[in-house]
Amino acid sequence: MTGAQAAGLPGREADGAAASAVKAMQAEGRFAEARDRYAELVGRHQRRAVRIALHYMRDAAEADEAVQDAFVKAYSHLDSFREELPFEVWFTRILINGCLDRIKARTRRARWFAPMPEGPGGQQDFAERTAGRGPSPEDQLLARERRVVLTRALAKLPERQRSVFMLSHYEGCTSREVSAMTGLNESTVRVHLFRAIRKLRILLAETTGTASSMEKRRVNP
Amino acid sequence: MSILNRLRLRSHLDDAAIAAIWTDGTLDGRRPSHPHLGVCTACRTRFALFSECLEELRENAAAEADALFPAERLAAQHAQIFRRIEASERPARVIAFPRFPAPLTSRSSHAARWIAAAAAAGLIVGVGVGQVMDLRHIGAAAPAHLQARLTPRPPTPGSGGAPSMTSTSSGDEAFLSALDASLSRPSVPELRAMDEFTPRAGEQPR
Repeated sequence: MTGAQAAGLPGREADGAAASAVKAMQAEGRFAEARDRYAELVGRHQRRAVRIALHYMRDAAEADEAVQDAFVKAYSHLDSFREELPFEVWFTRILINGCLDRIKARTRRARWFAPMPEGPGGQQDFAERTAGRGPSPEDQLLARERRVVLTRALAKLPERQRSVFMLSHYEGCTSREVSAMTGLNESTVRVHLFRAIRKLRILLAETTGTASSMEKRRVNP
Repeated sequence: MSILNRLRLRSHLDDAAIAAIWTDGTLDGRRPSHPHLGVCTACRTRFALFSECLEELRENAAAEADALFPAERLAAQHAQIFRRIEASERPARVIAFPRFPAPLTSRSSHAARWIAAAAAAGLIVGVGVGQVMDLRHIGAAAPAHLQARLTPRPPTPGSGGAPSMTSTSSGDEAFLSALDASLSRPSVPELRAMDEFTPRAGEQPR
């Protein structure tokens, strides 16, 4: 728990206070103190940032780099941060733009370079293959299959619909916040979210039969 | 309540209506509500199932991210972020250009330049003087036969101004004419009389 949170300040106010303090320290040249204070912000938003980046990049290594870049960029451009906007929104916009740039670069690379053959260890890197103390292998397998189905369904959505769905549903952002993060109009955000969940429902019905089971339970008056 | 609204309340919600209710609830950050959901158990159940499905999607995405980024990996990422920030704040290291042991512009270099110029000038003057001296020397100590060939002889009183070499050359000319004549005439004695009578091309009048 951070100092601000311990003092009873809500998360966003604490973020704003921390960001302002870091900005002031940077201006005064107290860089070590500024880094220490910024560490609070990083710790608070890191996991969320990783989820968003992973959702965009669909690759752990690239998501890792995108998150690092976003935090470094946010720190070096903190002087352009305006207090009226929540730090979370400002930072998420930096992160999303970075992810979109990386996706563009990846598409360009894919167009010009042949893919590397997969290693003998499988598709995942060592960090991803490390065993943990979690559920049983059967549960893991089932969960993985379900995740694959859901991920495929999500991946079929257009990029904007996917972003809006992820930010509003996964991250719990309001339409205003999603609008600030993505640069889309608030009404456009609503339309994208509505279309996204309709399409998801159809896609999931095709793959899992979830919707069909729901349809069976539908009772006519 | 109007008849139209009553009819709307009685008819079941379609997928689009359920999606719209869910969207409004999610984006406004409040609990999704609709008058029909309050009165129709079937639609309420459908809406609950729909919400559950989307909730499962969210949980799965979070679980996937957490599985790929355990606490250790997040800690490593945190450390890496601050290493990069620290590196960016450090002033850039300027690598000094390699220096010569002695500076190029010094007093000793001026002296060396003067010495080199004087040596070059001395060499040029020496070569020039040497050439002149050599020419004089050739003029003074040339061999006698060369001297005789190079310097014209003063005219002798009886020769009428012609060089003495003319007499030598006329003797040679006579010798060569005799030689030519002997070669051009037949050497067989029997034919010599006939040859005497025959006119020659060079002797014929033009």
